[in-house]
Amino acid sequence: MALTTTQSGLSRARRGVAPGGPGTAPVKRRSKLSAQTSRTFFWLLLPSVVLLVLIHGYPLIHAAVQATHDGNLLQTGNFVGGENFSTVLTSPAFWKAAQFTLWFTIVGVFGSWLVGLGLALLLRTKIPAGGTFKVLLLLPWVVPIVVSSTAWNWLVATPDSLIPSLFRNLGLGTPLFLADPTLASITVMVFKVWVSFPFMMMMISAALASVDSTVYEAASMDGATRWQQFSQITLPLIARSTYISWILMTIFCVNDFPTIYLLTGGGPVSATTSLVVLAYRTVFQDFATGPGVAIAFLMTMTLVVISVILYRQIRKSSVE
Amino acid sequence: MSAVLHAHPESGPALGVDAGKPRKVLSEAGQRGRWWRFTAILAITAIVLVPIVVTVLLAFTPGPNSTATGLTFENISNVFSKTLAATWLKNSLITTLATVIISVAVAAPAGYVLSRGRSKAVSGYSLLLFVMQSLPIITSVVPLFILFAGMGLVDNLMGLTIIYVGSTMTVATWMMAAYFDSIPISLEEASWIDGCSVFGSFTKVVLRNSLPGILSTAIFSFLLAWNDYLVAIVFLRSNEIFTLPMGVQSFFQQNATDWTSVMALAVIMMLPPVIVFATLNKYFSVGGIGGSLAGR
Repeated sequence: MALTTTQSGLSRARRGVAPGGPGTAPVKRRSKLSAQTSRTFFWLLLPSVVLLVLIHGYPLIHAAVQATHDGNLLQTGNFVGGENFSTVLTSPAFWKAAQFTLWFTIVGVFGSWLVGLGLALLLRTKIPAGGTFKVLLLLPWVVPIVVSSTAWNWLVATPDSLIPSLFRNLGLGTPLFLADPTLASITVMVFKVWVSFPFMMMMISAALASVDSTVYEAASMDGATRWQQFSQITLPLIARSTYISWILMTIFCVNDFPTIYLLTGGGPVSATTSLVVLAYRTVFQDFATGPGVAIAFLMTMTLVVISVILYRQIRKSSVE
Repeated sequence: MSAVLHAHPESGPALGVDAGKPRKVLSEAGQRGRWWRFTAILAITAIVLVPIVVTVLLAFTPGPNSTATGLTFENISNVFSKTLAATWLKNSLITTLATVIISVAVAAPAGYVLSRGRSKAVSGYSLLLFVMQSLPIITSVVPLFILFAGMGLVDNLMGLTIIYVGSTMTVATWMMAAYFDSIPISLEEASWIDGCSVFGSFTKVVLRNSLPGILSTAIFSFLLAWNDYLVAIVFLRSNEIFTLPMGVQSFFQQNATDWTSVMALAVIMMLPPVIVFATLNKYFSVGGIGGSLAGR
């Protein structure tokens, strides 16, 4: 938590002085140190650069090649230009998956944010066993998706599972949580919110911890209501951290695979197939490498554009 | 957290001479609010934890063919004797620990450069890391599958580790950089004057004071590697090379009705991250992830 609070001041300090930068050292010494610094920096960064090229750079270029060829997992095949892309862009399955991904992301980001915000506000003041609750509430995020999806399966999958039985006993009918297309989509989104809200809670708690409490005392002396205090003080003060958490969660949701795949496998009848699940199925179940990679590549290009814009925005907002 | 506790009126300082009366009123209201909040949190936590409680309860409930009564460790021992659970656990531990160690070893020096360097190249690299971490792993998985197949790294724990390190290193590098930002540069300057090299002051001065940052990064890498499913499902083929996520999933698909055994396996899988988090949670802050992103 200390990291965020000390961030801005120290990064300002950091910009002021750097190794080999302006200081009291004599000119000659400084330039020697500066040359040594660049050399050391080069070696310190090298392993990271090598990995980035191997795990991210090379595959990206290779993916571009595959997306324009008609090969399979073993051979690259012949160059077909934009054919894979036009196949993908004209297929209804792609647009259906894109639509689901959009809804999944919107509900995932704002749902988990609202739950996380509510809990962070509740846990902010002193309550008995507050620390214990904080750790317990992080469990959905810490427990592996493979485990929690199994538990959710046990709870909702068949008409005789715990929750459908509960509905039946209450006289509400027997909802088929994973068999009905609409209900399955909702279940997957609720599951995503359940998995993600602790992340939001931690982000918001960290931001709230750095808010000076005297502001509220002053506000309540001036007669500000609870709602006014929340909307005029709390929200603006956590705005930047909220913005960053939205960005990160958007990326997490768009790229999510296990949450959806392990709970529903993308079904029923592809109702919960997101773009990542579609790409996975196209490549590894239909063995259509070209179109599958083309889907992944379209996602990649969209995310590159979005992330460059957002990165600029974050930097701009942190300078202000 | 202690800083925010004062936000509540009841714990505020006395406000001048006539503060006595209104303070008492506020305090009563505050007390009621406190219990209301406690009840709300208790109820929410109980609902949220249902899937996890269910998992643990089923894991210790006697199975259909069991003679045991009450809670039992039978399922856990059965799972170890009937399945390759021990092998999967070992595979997961090896892969995860290797990922954690290599990630920190790669991210710490890179994070130091990101924290202290001021050149165009350094800020360009920072942007590159941000873009790369936002890309779907599925894009790299297919080309890497082809590349690794040629090198014998498919169905191989080393291949898996390489990809995990690659996918943790971006965020791990920021987390390290954010932590290094909080270490005053005057410490390094003092060591340079004493004749220490830049590398020497990084290892002897900066790293030595970075244990919380290193632990935080290590926990992050641990969770990512331990919980991964997408890379494992693509790259692992044979039963004895499976990591726990693949093991649990394959066992679940074959024995979907044997819930007590499935949950016993699930409990074995969730125990290590829960233990790591319970013991080290004070070092971990996702705020650090956001802060590191905003700081540069």
